[in-house]
Amino acid sequence: MLESSVAARTGSKPSELGGSIIAGSGKPFDRKKRLFAMNRFFRYICIASACFVCLILFLILILMFRTGVLTFRDISFADFFFSTNWNPMEEQYGALIFIFGTFALTALTLLISVPLSIAIAVFLSVFVPGWLKNALRPILDLLVGIPSVVYGYLGLTVLIPMIRNVTGSGMGDGILAAALVLTIMVLPTISRISDDAISAVPRKYSDASYALGATRFHTVWKVLLPSARSGIMYAVILGMARAIGETMAVVMVIGNTAQLADSLLKPTSVLTSNIVMQISNVPFDSTWNYALYLMGFLLLVISILMIATVRWLQRKGVQG
Amino acid sequence: MKSTQTANPFQGVGKMNRLNNRVFTLLVWIIGAAAILFIFGLLFLILEAGLPNLTWDFLFGLPSEIDEGGGIGPTLINSFYILGISLIIAIPLGMAAGIYLAEFAPDNKLIGFVRICVEALASVPSIIFGLFGIALFVEFFQIGLTILGGAVSLAFLNLPVLVRVTEESLRAVPKELKSASFALGGTHLQTISRVLIPAALTGIVTGICLVAGRAFGESAVIILTAGVTTSGEMWDFNLFSPGATLAVHLWYVQSEAIVPDAQQIAQKAAAVLVFVVLFINLVFRIPLWLKARKMKG
Amino acid sequence: MKWFKQITIAALIAVIGFSSVHVADAASKLSGKIVINGSSALLPLTLQAANEFKKANPKVKISASAAGSITGPQAVRKGIADIGAVDWDATKDVPGFKKFDGQVAHKVAVIPFATVVNKNVGVSNLTTKDLQGIFSGKIKNWKDVGGKDAEIIVVNRTFGSGTRVNFQDKALAGEDFMTKGDNYKEVKTSGDMKTAIETTPNAIGYMDLAYVTDKMSALSVNGVAPTEANVINGKYKVWGYGYYMTKGQPTGAVKEFIAYVQSAKFQNGSLKKLKFIPISAMK
Repeated sequence: MLESSVAARTGSKPSELGGSIIAGSGKPFDRKKRLFAMNRFFRYICIASACFVCLILFLILILMFRTGVLTFRDISFADFFFSTNWNPMEEQYGALIFIFGTFALTALTLLISVPLSIAIAVFLSVFVPGWLKNALRPILDLLVGIPSVVYGYLGLTVLIPMIRNVTGSGMGDGILAAALVLTIMVLPTISRISDDAISAVPRKYSDASYALGATRFHTVWKVLLPSARSGIMYAVILGMARAIGETMAVVMVIGNTAQLADSLLKPTSVLTSNIVMQISNVPFDSTWNYALYLMGFLLLVISILMIATVRWLQRKGVQG
Repeated sequence: MKSTQTANPFQGVGKMNRLNNRVFTLLVWIIGAAAILFIFGLLFLILEAGLPNLTWDFLFGLPSEIDEGGGIGPTLINSFYILGISLIIAIPLGMAAGIYLAEFAPDNKLIGFVRICVEALASVPSIIFGLFGIALFVEFFQIGLTILGGAVSLAFLNLPVLVRVTEESLRAVPKELKSASFALGGTHLQTISRVLIPAALTGIVTGICLVAGRAFGESAVIILTAGVTTSGEMWDFNLFSPGATLAVHLWYVQSEAIVPDAQQIAQKAAAVLVFVVLFINLVFRIPLWLKARKMKG
Repeated sequence: MKWFKQITIAALIAVIGFSSVHVADAASKLSGKIVINGSSALLPLTLQAANEFKKANPKVKISASAAGSITGPQAVRKGIADIGAVDWDATKDVPGFKKFDGQVAHKVAVIPFATVVNKNVGVSNLTTKDLQGIFSGKIKNWKDVGGKDAEIIVVNRTFGSGTRVNFQDKALAGEDFMTKGDNYKEVKTSGDMKTAIETTPNAIGYMDLAYVTDKMSALSVNGVAPTEANVINGKYKVWGYGYYMTKGQPTGAVKEFIAYVQSAKFQNGSLKKLKFIPISAMK
């Protein structure tokens, strides 16, 4: 809207415009002032939107925090964070199992998915001819749109029997199954955004690299990936965020048992799966409910920490 | 390639390079091909089970609880309706906020913190947004389980991703373009609307596609804020009707329904979902391709 | 006089029919909004009843959702739902949940539950004692209950599930479930339970009789098979009532809706087809 109106007005001749306005009103409203006003208006809209977004997000934070801290009326700080005993029926609310599970699951997922997705991104942006690229990209996007319930169902009916056969374990539910399902889910996110980042590296960089006699490996490794690092990092963060926060699919393959995951194949539980399994089944004003909200808030704190770490590493990398 | 190799004065390094290059090329090809095969396998698995049995009656019929042959009509329409409303709310807000963060925001600690918070909120399980939606619409505004509540909650869910995608895409635009625009006397608004956004459009559209796909498949938020029922009529655009979407219906059929053909309905619904996401991608992308072609020609 | 009698009867029937249509007409002036939340196991019943009720009363808006049994009475207490569907009588204390004061429970259906195992388990009957041992984690191998030598995989519903409350109460005689173990997992919904039992060898779980498919085996408990007939004649004990909770006595559209669900027409028609048992069948 703004764009077109600006285009329409700047397109007309100044003399005519000035004339008509002078004829219509007293003061001449010149183009410079108008552009200036539009700029300011646009700026205010942006600021207002940003404020609104922040307001909503902070409201959500406050909702979670305010409900979450009520937990500490009944149980001590140390019990919540350092006890592995989660047994709400006996008033035991130790969340360490879930915190550990979330870290382990996210780490394992990233370990598998990041190298794979970057390879796919390089494949799409450097190796594949243009027409194939245009065909493949939307197909990758498609994977994002498959509802997580479907992923979970496929995990339950295809992946877990497979794990059972390969490892010989009785159940197959656990961190490994969840990490594999999550890998498939974050793969398109990470690889598509990395792909965009690599494609956005100015062409002259790689031209220059080839002209200097570098091989394709060298060009990708030493020129393209470093130049696209910010975008790739962002892709990893987004993928990580999705891995930490994914629930519906994880719930179906992780086993949902409150025990520490000392093996990849032992049924366990993570923050999200525990929240989703229990939040609709507990009384509103119970310590249990507060503890689940606190876990939601904790999830947020964990991802803030992880994101800050990634950013810090990134900045350190740039300096070093 | 060969000519560059012979021209390379560092022969020893060249051999290493050549080996590395071969291994690397092979590896990338294998991973790329495997990934694509895998994706096609997955899509085939989902579509093959559902697509061949699709009929108009299924797509536009009313759901049934007892007999076989129930359709997905109202839920399919609700899906589009809710997605549309949520995008109408989320895209302008998210883009404007993203533009603010990329262009206007001062580079201080507070903004850095806001940025990390926005990113972190993208990782909050959607059920939290659902709980927020309940607190806001059901308890505060007291409008019950409605399409409106579901759509707005969904928009909130998508805001963080949209904000960050917009910001990142704008930042990825080369500095030269922006400088050139300023040097030509363009105002900030003109620079943003005519230079930066067109240049960043591919990235932003990718983000919108990701978000739309996620929203289309989202069930947890909708179950909590818009319910599992529909008004039971086709073409009901009342904002205050209950608004179960296709993904919710899929969840319901898979988890609780007693109808004998639940499995088939679930497979067909999953196939339709995937198909629609492909369709959304095409709708958003075709203009981009046309534009790219026009630029070339 | 015979023809006169016939005509009178026909006329009477016509009048009654007409007046009943007229009643339906009058009822269709009923308007209002009904929000139902709660048990997901009762959701198919609620949805079907809502569809039929809306056809007769187009002005009534019904929206239903489901999250878990406890959500029902809680939502009613908070005033965000008019009817809370729940799988136990929420006016009384049950293990893990306190009673809800000031609410009225309306029985709407009888739900039979079945103990189910994967097809590869060669066991067809378990005693209450066996079940207690298995679900509390004391019996770990199928050979201890007359099966082959294989570890038992226990699949349980998550806490708060009405099915779980009923199963613990009726099949395990109140014995506590195990909470951890290498071969123990919990699932969220009946559908997940169904998939888990169908696809996991040596698995045991439990679910509403309505969800039992031919890809799994339903076990007899203490020698009694889980059939509708055995529930009605009192031999099979593992069943419970489904309830609608309201804040005080219901009025208006809510009252009419509950009356419709409890009516003989719905109970013996759709409710039976959904494989619940009519409340009138129980003594």
